[in-house]
Amino acid sequence: MPRAIGIDLGTTNSLVALVDERNRPQVLPVDEGRPLLPSAVFYAPDGAVEVGAAARRLAPERPVDTILSVKRFMGRGPGDIRPEDRGIYRFDESGAVVRLEVGGGARKVTPIEVSAEILRRLRRHAADALGEAPGGCVITVPAYFDDAQRQATKDAGRLAGLDVLRLLNEPTAAALAYGLDKRAQGTFAVYDLGGGTFDVSILRLDAGVFEVLSTGGDTHLGGDDFDRVLARKLLAEGLAQRIEDPSPGVLRATVAAAQRIRETLTTEEAVEAEVELPEGLRLTVRLTRAELEALIQPVVDRTTGPTRDALRDARVAKVDGVVLVGGATRTPLVRRHVRELFGQEPLTDLDPDTVVALGAAVQADALERGGREDVLLLDVIPLSLGVEMMGGVVEKIILRNSTIPASATQGFTTYADGQTGMVVHVVQGERELARDCRSLARFTLKGIPPMPAGIARVEISYAVDADGILQVSARELTTGIEQRIQVKPTYGLTEDEVEQMLVESIEHAEEDVSERFLREWRVEGDRIVSALETAFGMDGELLTPAERARIEEKIAGLREAMAGSDFLAVKAWIESVDAATKEFAERRMNKHIAKAMSGHRVVEFADQPPATGSKDSDLESGEGG
Amino acid sequence: MLHCWSCKTLEEEPTPFCPSCRKIQPVGRTEDYFSLLGLPRQFAVDRAEVEKRFRELSRSLHPDRFAKAEARERRLSLERATRLNDAFRYLKDWRLRAAYLLKLAGTDVFAEGKTFADPEFLEEQLEWREAMAVAQADGDGPALVAIAERARERLAALEAEVAACFEDEHWFSDLVLDIARRLSRARYYDNIIADARRAGASLQT
Repeated sequence: MPRAIGIDLGTTNSLVALVDERNRPQVLPVDEGRPLLPSAVFYAPDGAVEVGAAARRLAPERPVDTILSVKRFMGRGPGDIRPEDRGIYRFDESGAVVRLEVGGGARKVTPIEVSAEILRRLRRHAADALGEAPGGCVITVPAYFDDAQRQATKDAGRLAGLDVLRLLNEPTAAALAYGLDKRAQGTFAVYDLGGGTFDVSILRLDAGVFEVLSTGGDTHLGGDDFDRVLARKLLAEGLAQRIEDPSPGVLRATVAAAQRIRETLTTEEAVEAEVELPEGLRLTVRLTRAELEALIQPVVDRTTGPTRDALRDARVAKVDGVVLVGGATRTPLVRRHVRELFGQEPLTDLDPDTVVALGAAVQADALERGGREDVLLLDVIPLSLGVEMMGGVVEKIILRNSTIPASATQGFTTYADGQTGMVVHVVQGERELARDCRSLARFTLKGIPPMPAGIARVEISYAVDADGILQVSARELTTGIEQRIQVKPTYGLTEDEVEQMLVESIEHAEEDVSERFLREWRVEGDRIVSALETAFGMDGELLTPAERARIEEKIAGLREAMAGSDFLAVKAWIESVDAATKEFAERRMNKHIAKAMSGHRVVEFADQPPATGSKDSDLESGEGG
Repeated sequence: MLHCWSCKTLEEEPTPFCPSCRKIQPVGRTEDYFSLLGLPRQFAVDRAEVEKRFRELSRSLHPDRFAKAEARERRLSLERATRLNDAFRYLKDWRLRAAYLLKLAGTDVFAEGKTFADPEFLEEQLEWREAMAVAQADGDGPALVAIAERARERLAALEAEVAACFEDEHWFSDLVLDIARRLSRARYYDNIIADARRAGASLQT
């Protein structure tokens, strides 16, 4: 049987591991005898491609043609890339996918292709070590990766000729390696600070079941940020003569120097060094650990919020252990921070650089063999999946931290009379308004038979598979018209990334909520007013002029409130209109029932709000209990 | 009556696996969230029992067990595991469980409208909102905590009331509206708790 492999496709370094004949997970030596393959790809003008340490060495000299930290660009659309990530690269953002111009401008590659080069290299080494082509493969992703980023990773695997059995969340992989190694039981936190991403997951380990209770993080936070702030300081203070606009080569070399200095300060108290930079520049460095820590403290502090949120979402006050993952957790300041956050000494028995790959290998091996009786991973989706409703508000369909695979269906109806199409806008994120969430896909359900508003029944179903990838289908129930799409993101975030979304969802929570209510009640007000106008036209004779005038007065009040910004006022007026038209509604009901016993439903405008979203998932927004 | 898709054996009842050839089977039309977990269709559940069954079933149904199986088995495992996770999510939360029971009884009360007419509750809602607004305006963290705590007490009381309703053997004819009204109120308290927490968090920053 071919042997399955596990791959940790990291921002800074990538690794491949497998479970050996003696049933132990092992990382394979890959790059110049070391297990860590730098996630660097160099494209030469003649078409040659260099991967790993050799490529990284070329980075200062050939900065534009050497792609580092490509993971930050995965699943990103045009306009999606953060300014600080753009660095020195040249982007082509004319198509639906971002491309990088490399090879002296001769070639344009997508981040998926760049990642595939790294994966291909790992695959080749695994094949060399095994003496045959590897079997299935598990690739790890940050737990906090959204649908688009997961899709991109899976595509890269396929492009590299790998049989991707599963995408596995990095903290879950680490917990798997750790839990099996230590036979751990209880509630654990995995604090994963890598080169470019931060993830924190809370898991319950019980008799071989690894159940993820919650996850949080920031897809733009990691060791790279330490290097960036340090490089800025070095350039500002370490040069004999200040330069205004350092070239890409100088920047690269400075960042590389910053990384080495930071790593040295993990064990040393101070560093004194002279660093040669391109263009004849020379950097004089004199730095203590305390100075470095003061510099990176703000970056480290950004892990606090997501960690607290994850603990709260998991409803645990205390954990039995904290597992450290990612090279950046070697930093003494980070360890102190973790100790303070969790009130205990973190576990460091396993190498934070390799633990994810080891876990991936264990999972790959299990999958290849049709699962293990003694191990079960139950993972969750990191961000809620929803659909944009009338007025731009998001109706969440599957809530974050739901165990995957998961599905949910929600009923919707048409808003206008004779409406034959419905735009389904699929979004991911926690914010109340669709424009603040990540847009995953947009499609139109067509062919709804013309009916009065509110009669058509459209069902939208979301299904998330075990990789955390979404499939959406929409169905019109009266005709059975069905449309199904695999969500392939057409474009991504404006500028905010997932992390930004979460941070903002907390910062803007109140403003969102009242804005959301206001929109909803305005939509409802519109519906009532137009339903009443229709009713006056059809059954105006059922009212005396005095009754009619009283209702008109209420409608005028409602309209005035709708023009304002106080949703409570709109709501109060709606209730007042409802009360004033109750009698009218009853008379109409009687008239129509008498007229036609055919079972047609009368528009009950005196009833409470619209059948826009339904039931089950509304309830689901509450806390479980 | 069903036939196994693989060995064509006749099955009396829908089961996850064919008793004869052990191949995974599609979810039957008659299976609901309770039967999927092998539990009686009732409001009262033992949380530990739900968890235990969920884990046992997950072990055999999870797509991890079928990663190398043929396409049809992979699809069926995904379908079963998805339904199992959905069932677990519904049954462990009393609100979802109650709403689901109402739906199974043929009264999808929430289908008729997003909010539920509850005029008596309106005044109380306004009081909560006002208390919240005052606490926020004063930047009064402890008051927000107290509001959330009070809302949690109301939720606990509602849960007990809903449980009592379901104890009545005629609940599906007599008490559907009482239950639905309480679920609607529970949703309101859930929102209060979430809002109070967010407001509290924004005070800290």
